[in-house]
Amino acid sequence: MTDKTAATEAVTTDDGSGDGATAPKVKRRSIWTRLYHGETNFDFVGRRKLWFTISLVAVLIGIGSLVTRGLNLGIDFEGGVVWEVPAGDASVADARNAVDQFGLAGATIQELESDEGVELRVEAEPVSADTSDEVTAALADLTGSSVDNVSLTSVGPSWGEEISEKAIRALVVFLVLVTIYIALRFELRMAIPTLVALVHDVLITVGVYAVTQLEVTPPTVIAVLTILGYSIYDGIVVFDKVDENTRLVSSTGGLSYGGMVNVSLNQALMRSLNTTITALLPVGSLLIVGSWIMGAVVLQEFAIALLIGLFSGAYSSLFIASPLLAWLKEREPRYRDIKRRIDARGGEAAAVAAAVAAGSTVLGSGPSHQPAKTGAAAGTAEDTRVVTPAGRAIPPRPRKKTKRGGR
Amino acid sequence: MRRKIWFPLVFIVLVAVGGLGATLISGNSPELGLDLQGGVSVVLEPTSDASGDALGQAVDIIRDRVDALGVAEPEITRQGDAIVVQLPGVKNRDRALELVGQTAELRFRPVLQDLTGSEVAPPDESESTTTTTAEGAATTTTTAGGSTTTTTAADDAAAGLPLGESAGAAQEPTTTTTAPPPTTTTAPGAPAEGAPVPLTSRQDDTADATVTLPGKDDEGVFQLGPTLATGQIVSSARAEIPQGQWLVALSMKGGADGIDTFNEIAAQCNPPSAVCPTGRLAIVLDSVVQSAPTINEPSYSKDDITISGSFGEDEAKDLALVLRYGSLPVELERQSVQTVSASLGEDSLRAGIIAGLVGLGLVALYMLIYYRALGLVMIVGVGISGALLFAIVSWMGETRGLALTLAGVTGIIVSIGVTVDSYVVFFERLKDEVKAGRTLRTSTERAFKRAFRTILAANISSFLGAAILWWLTVGSVRGFAFFLGLSTVLDVIVAWLFTRPVVMLLSRNRFFTDMPGFGVARGLASGQPAARQTAPAPGAGR
Repeated sequence: MTDKTAATEAVTTDDGSGDGATAPKVKRRSIWTRLYHGETNFDFVGRRKLWFTISLVAVLIGIGSLVTRGLNLGIDFEGGVVWEVPAGDASVADARNAVDQFGLAGATIQELESDEGVELRVEAEPVSADTSDEVTAALADLTGSSVDNVSLTSVGPSWGEEISEKAIRALVVFLVLVTIYIALRFELRMAIPTLVALVHDVLITVGVYAVTQLEVTPPTVIAVLTILGYSIYDGIVVFDKVDENTRLVSSTGGLSYGGMVNVSLNQALMRSLNTTITALLPVGSLLIVGSWIMGAVVLQEFAIALLIGLFSGAYSSLFIASPLLAWLKEREPRYRDIKRRIDARGGEAAAVAAAVAAGSTVLGSGPSHQPAKTGAAAGTAEDTRVVTPAGRAIPPRPRKKTKRGGR
Repeated sequence: MRRKIWFPLVFIVLVAVGGLGATLISGNSPELGLDLQGGVSVVLEPTSDASGDALGQAVDIIRDRVDALGVAEPEITRQGDAIVVQLPGVKNRDRALELVGQTAELRFRPVLQDLTGSEVAPPDESESTTTTTAEGAATTTTTAGGSTTTTTAADDAAAGLPLGESAGAAQEPTTTTTAPPPTTTTAPGAPAEGAPVPLTSRQDDTADATVTLPGKDDEGVFQLGPTLATGQIVSSARAEIPQGQWLVALSMKGGADGIDTFNEIAAQCNPPSAVCPTGRLAIVLDSVVQSAPTINEPSYSKDDITISGSFGEDEAKDLALVLRYGSLPVELERQSVQTVSASLGEDSLRAGIIAGLVGLGLVALYMLIYYRALGLVMIVGVGISGALLFAIVSWMGETRGLALTLAGVTGIIVSIGVTVDSYVVFFERLKDEVKAGRTLRTSTERAFKRAFRTILAANISSFLGAAILWWLTVGSVRGFAFFLGLSTVLDVIVAWLFTRPVVMLLSRNRFFTDMPGFGVARGLASGQPAARQTAPAPGAGR
């Protein structure tokens, strides 16, 4: 964040000399400045094999861990009973004696430190409602506190299964509907990468839980489902840009579909970063302030999964969904031909650089098939301004010489 | 044009301020879920498939039961097949759990034999083939008969025995004058037999079986015949204390499904017949004999049936409750119970709120540094969203019983991120337009149009997710989904009614656009005052 501030400060001081920006100069600017102005030129699409490999490895590690170690499921999924009671003078051994008579020999009994002193936590396999009430009474008796101070959580085994089933069903329905929605809103070829990215994010998150053996609770499931929303939001922001830039793709313009996607990604990069940062801040605060500093453990259950998912979502929309889209699209005859012709002419690096340099100027006003006229090294602002009016229905108004003098 | 800008702005600000003001003045505040204020949550599910109607009816009955308990603001909802009972801040937790748990069918069974005092063997729950035994004894003992028998029950009364009491008494003030006064009958325990009497397990307690069941609080054991009627015949029941003695006054439904059925039973029990050898009729709920009064009349009128005996006030009221609401159309099973102590709830709430505020503060700071004056727009916009959210949540808490749970709080905190995303999308688009060399003024409308498409698409997918979660899940996930969905809708509304007009207005005001260091132009990185044409970006890095 401070870096970004620094970057903007730098721009301020340069105000006076700012008019002569040209493409070659771009390269000399600091990465933050370029990032800030959407003029970076990272090769997201070209190195897709690298990104896919990274993700594949991560996902495989997760799946491997999932298969061998499984998830550390909380009682909400496996069924079971947990009693928590202020310990009073009672020890773990006392509690063990107290619950043994109910046939709960296998119960896990722990002492927990909390703000209000030591608590006893007894966790056992599912028992009947009557037994659980009796144990509650016995524990209250033992510790000398009232029955109402014994916190009881009990989940029947079938209930846990049902919860998981419902979550998975919700997930599947969600994926199907989102696919349909994106296919309608954009096109089917965009829905597939979105879907892949979503599944990727879920697998990564589940994988992290399998590797770290963090306990999976209902809040975790909620968080995973929320991630889907985020992931899609990110994806849509990027794809919206891609969609808008599609008309730039032409062999004469020197931009292949992949090149265009790359340009779009670079333009939308700051947007993606910003949306991720602004989403991370509250979630991070949930984890650090709410959970670690103030000790509300439940918040942690939400926050960790959200955090993982957010990172994964930001990553997948840039490095998975978009390159995949480019790859899919370039299999279409039309874009394949364009790509072939461009490659024959020696690649599109220059065109991409130019398009990026021209920035969203060209692309933002979304017109023409000929932005590349701004050409290899000549992508100055003036050029693009000339080009734009030729474009679409809403040309920028010719208010070039404005009333306001400014400085 | 001006009006077009001002109208929505004034409208949304008035609605937000008005809503918030009204909420504060009327003293409403969001109703807290039980994980934030402590309480009990029980999830019940039918043991077999049940129709939606039956479940709806079950919800009503449970609600009545809970209301009768005097729990403040209980929340009983149907979520899919499950019934979720939330009892925030409930005082007498065990009693509540017990009452809510009593969800099986209320059955009237004839008492074949009172085995109280016999040794009892607990049912073997694992073996569903356990048969009911002691059938041979069915016709042997008759301990209490006769229509107007009066035996003393003083001892039992003193011991607080809930099932030793009992007696049906009919008073027919309008027709006959022969109605006997309420009487008390006690059936002394049957002589103990040599072998322990095996109790019938819960799963074997089917309506048509002959069963051996314990009395309430394990006081007494009864051998009972097949079910003669269910709780459906009862129309109402209440505890009364007409002559210094608590009794339960019953009303039956009219016709074949009510009083007629009951009178058939009464005729068989008075005088005792093979069906009802003891002349006593047990009221059985959830495999427990709630009471086993003697039938004192062969026939009753539907509004004049009383059960009297050595009731304490609580016993009478509980019995009335059971009779009134005991019969649920479906059998329910407790699936999960969660209790949260009040202090834990408070801690979570405080942590959630503070974490949310800190998060919001950080986001605000980031947006201010990054977008300058436009960051202010976002802060006010989020403030408006927040005010609307608070008003809606409070209002729905008041009218619909919507409770704000920890999951909901998290949903709201998470939605801060989503809401701010929309501003980012808009501002970045604006930045693009300004970079393209347009004036800030002309850029605003264009940028918003494009950005709104993106915002809408993204929010629709978020909303889709929230709606599906709400539909397909239960419990806390639902709360989360609701608040997430609500914020999504608010986000779109605020974007259209607030952000757009405000940014348009600001873009016309030189003070805001050109303010050094903080102006909108500065925030959009247009190197020069926005009003002037500029090159795409100032050059020369550091």
